[in-house]
Amino acid sequence: MMKKICRYLSPLLIAALVLGSLPVAAAPASPGSGLVTTQDALNVERTQGDRERIHEILARDDVQEQLVAQGVDPAEVEARVAALSDAEAAQMADQLEQLPAGASVVGALFAVFVILLVTDILGLTNVFPFTR
Amino acid sequence: MMHCRDRQPLARNARPAGVLALVLLTLVLAGCASTPQLAESTEHELPRRALLEDIPFHGQRDYQCGPASLAMVLNASGVPAKVDTLIPQVFLPGREGSVQPEMLGTVRRHGRIPFRIRGSLDALLTEIDAGHPVVVMQNLSLPAWPVWHYAVAIGFDLDEETLILHSGMEPERVESFKRFDATWARSDRWAFVALPPGEMPATGDSKAALDAIADFERVQGAKAALPAWDAFVARHPTHAMGHFALGNARHASGDSQGAIEAFENAVRADPELAVAWLNLGLLHRELGEGDKAHEALQRAAAIAGSWQEQARQALDDLKTGGE
Repeated sequence: MMKKICRYLSPLLIAALVLGSLPVAAAPASPGSGLVTTQDALNVERTQGDRERIHEILARDDVQEQLVAQGVDPAEVEARVAALSDAEAAQMADQLEQLPAGASVVGALFAVFVILLVTDILGLTNVFPFTR
Repeated sequence: MMHCRDRQPLARNARPAGVLALVLLTLVLAGCASTPQLAESTEHELPRRALLEDIPFHGQRDYQCGPASLAMVLNASGVPAKVDTLIPQVFLPGREGSVQPEMLGTVRRHGRIPFRIRGSLDALLTEIDAGHPVVVMQNLSLPAWPVWHYAVAIGFDLDEETLILHSGMEPERVESFKRFDATWARSDRWAFVALPPGEMPATGDSKAALDAIADFERVQGAKAALPAWDAFVARHPTHAMGHFALGNARHASGDSQGAIEAFENAVRADPELAVAWLNLGLLHRELGEGDKAHEALQRAAAIAGSWQEQARQALDDLKTGGE
């Protein structure tokens, strides 16, 4: 029964999502006077497919949600996402968890401490301020 | 017995494997530990030492080296942004840090253009020599237990082989090239400069700069980006896309004649740039110059590619409108 419902529901959902995203994809392509914008020209030059474009546009909504989940003030989220380039927004949406974040904490394991101390002294790392 | 026989080949391989591991480890350590060499041309062009003395220092609090580094470079380029303003704009509480895309985005929000620079000590030192403080990302620890960190490179000494950075709680920290490069390499040598529109980075290719300005323009608008396009065209006069972008920015700022001039320069630099012919034609049409519009649109329609269809359409419109 569930399977049957799903079978009919999925194509409908897919269609609804695709249709819903089309106006969004079309929106930024219309500057005031009908001239082609630099950004559009560059996108075409990069031979970027429509699918990728749609992905990047949808990415912004995705990033907004992720930022709120990471504890960012919802009032700030929109402006933060707006400042990203399309490629950056897509990168954030796809791999925010893997992106290095400046200033995280080291696991304070003793073995790690010793290894890092040695590598610090060798000049390979720079964890402890007292090794120069 | 069976077990022993099974294990024998393993035991035989154990020693060579151990030796191999040791050799590899030594190689890796030796590879990382060598002091990076500068290209000869860089050695010649750069002064022996340089220090940007008027870069304000902001000590980081907790994990906020991202906002602190941003405040330093923004202040240096004339934006009076405070660390406290920047924290809610770039810091990710869930990650206890700031990620690279948002570092660049925040620079745009404050009206400055973030230019990523090439990941090499040559490019880094050349930018510093040009008066541009450079935000660098380092992994101070090993890849397995990363300690990601942003700092601002502000000076160097070629004889001592040291780099000078505003880093963490320490202004003008001196780090050897060797140690710095080892920690910098772990972020794939990620670095950028934040410059006001109209100023170009001292290094880097035209394509990267073009993209950086276009991304800035998308956020801040054509008027804000106009001086940047002017500077880009002055630096790369043969880059057709640069003239094209300048034309768009001029048009959006209300300078139609200037825009036409720029589009004409674009097609002169690259007669195959269909999109420039297209915009030239559309703009002539907007100004009521039918003949010129016709000529440019015909050129655009003759070039196979993504703009052909739109050019033909405009050409048809022009004909039906003219009759």
